[in-house]
Amino acid sequence: MHSWVQRLMATATTAALLLLAACCAASALDAFHVPSVQAQAHVTKINRFHKHLNGNDKVTLTFNLSANLESVFTWNTKQVFVFLTAEYENSKNSLNQVSLWDHIIPDKDHANLQLEVKSKYPLIDQGSSLRGKKVRLVLHWHIMPNAGVMIRDRMALSEFKLPDAYTS
Amino acid sequence: MDWQGQKRAEMLMQLLLVASAVAAFVVGYAMADFQLMLLVYAAGVVLTALVTVPNWPFFNRHPLKWLDASEADRHPRPQVSATTGGKKKTGKNK
Repeated sequence: MHSWVQRLMATATTAALLLLAACCAASALDAFHVPSVQAQAHVTKINRFHKHLNGNDKVTLTFNLSANLESVFTWNTKQVFVFLTAEYENSKNSLNQVSLWDHIIPDKDHANLQLEVKSKYPLIDQGSSLRGKKVRLVLHWHIMPNAGVMIRDRMALSEFKLPDAYTS
Repeated sequence: MDWQGQKRAEMLMQLLLVASAVAAFVVGYAMADFQLMLLVYAAGVVLTALVTVPNWPFFNRHPLKWLDASEADRHPRPQVSATTGGKKKTGKNK
């Protein structure tokens, strides 16, 4: 600690270590935060249901979604990535997940979602097992913190049945 | 900076940094604002650096008192004789 350079280095090292400790503490506090998310989603219209030239089933649909994600925000939340998937099982896989729509919530003021939209991404099967298939709508959210690990959670919202025949 | 000053500077540095980290965390949590925590902490670190890094007169209140050169000449440093050194070496080898 004789020269000012030594003192500056010691100060910088200790400061960085304590910053790390503060970030760890902030991340640890998030583990005690239990959000209560309320959400509903329903398919309002199957716009098109057909078989691709390559043999894969393809569905475009319209759905409404009301989700209140305000409670997932804490002081250590940078943003929340939220997406809606269609999930179903067929003979090939016990779980198929297809993302239909996604959204980035930048802050708590924009965390109350009320919308009716066309699916951003079409529901495409790997094969043609979708006719008459029961499909679950599941809302997923990834909480991205300022410091610490990303927290993932999900909530099954509703089920719908695809038509027994292609629409076009 | 003298010895006492160095000790004091290190103590001050650690104390101020821990205090500012704790204060920043409490303020940030209370105001639910992560950025505020970083700002308060940054202010604490700058303050700490200003207090402990420059060689303030505050750190130089206990200068070392050296003997005069003439006093040192009158009491020469005892010389280690070659024979004792040799004995030590053989003792180690055994």
